[in-house]
Amino acid sequence: MYYVARVINDECSKYNCKQCTLFCPEPNTLMYNDEKHHAYVNEERCKGCALCVYVCEHLLKRNAIKMVMPEVHAD
Amino acid sequence: MSYNIYEINEDLKEFIPKEIVDLQERATWGNPKRGVMDLPYSKELVEEHSLCAGCPESAALRYILASLPNPEDTIIVNSTGCTSLVFPHIALHTVHSLFGNQNAVASGIKRVLEIRFPDKVKDVVVLAGDGATVDIGLDCTLQSFFRQERITTICFDNEVYANTGGQESGLTVKGYVFKMAPKGKQFDKVPMWQLAIDSGCHYVARLTVSSPKRVEQVIKKAIYVAREVGPTYVHLYTPCILEIGLNSDDGLEEMRNRDKERFAFFEYMTPHAEEVINKVKEECLL
Repeated sequence: MYYVARVINDECSKYNCKQCTLFCPEPNTLMYNDEKHHAYVNEERCKGCALCVYVCEHLLKRNAIKMVMPEVHAD
Repeated sequence: MSYNIYEINEDLKEFIPKEIVDLQERATWGNPKRGVMDLPYSKELVEEHSLCAGCPESAALRYILASLPNPEDTIIVNSTGCTSLVFPHIALHTVHSLFGNQNAVASGIKRVLEIRFPDKVKDVVVLAGDGATVDIGLDCTLQSFFRQERITTICFDNEVYANTGGQESGLTVKGYVFKMAPKGKQFDKVPMWQLAIDSGCHYVARLTVSSPKRVEQVIKKAIYVAREVGPTYVHLYTPCILEIGLNSDDGLEEMRNRDKERFAFFEYMTPHAEEVINKVKEECLL
């Protein structure tokens, strides 16, 4: 099992950048919810590359996404 | 072909996989203004595939498929390579040719489509790696340019034969060592973008895929020029992070670094191509 990306909704909704959704290499994995103003991850599609974390933390100097062990695999 | 082929019989809808239903309801068909900014919301034309985690080629495919102005009438011709793993998961007509003859196959398809559908716009796009475009398929690639075939050729340059273990290719940089090229490359990287210009391409671009919007602009220009003028060529740097020893989250940084040196953005267009591009801009399609 491997880590997957998870968006910190409150932090993400402060911005409207959507950059992680563009730079994620996987199709329809990191999407954006316009009503709630934050990105979200389809965890079953995420391959855990952490490129979104690089974009959010290193390029944009924000902290709105992190890698976590998905709950379904936690035990 | 029409995007209506994805229209699902209402009586069967409950049995159809969600991904197929999404293709009908949330994909961006029939809109020439579609682009990468649709990606956060829409159903993409590529499904889950088996490319490595963090592969820049995977991102390139997302941007290209999101940028096609006429996906329902676009035929993609591809060749052997990592990209072969993706094409079975694309919701467009794709043709997998023999290794290296993709531009010859695309030429034939384009000519037949012009005869069969004289009143319809049909785009033919070649997507192949550096081995297929520049080494094994250089003959077919250049001959299609000489003949002024109205096709778009996109080369994914990862500078190595990656999925066969790391042999050097014509696009490997001089001196680079790979697992199966232990002595290091003995001669210079082939300047394929320059060969494309000299061989008669009307629009040529060289770039990395570190900027989705720029990739969209380039792909659209290449396709519109190929429709109306002649062959176009796009050279994309999509590094193989495994073969050059990077982590899965390093691909973007690698491309951003190369943006400043050997893959600095380069664009060439003939006066006729420029006219077409300006016309398309006036129509707000670029």
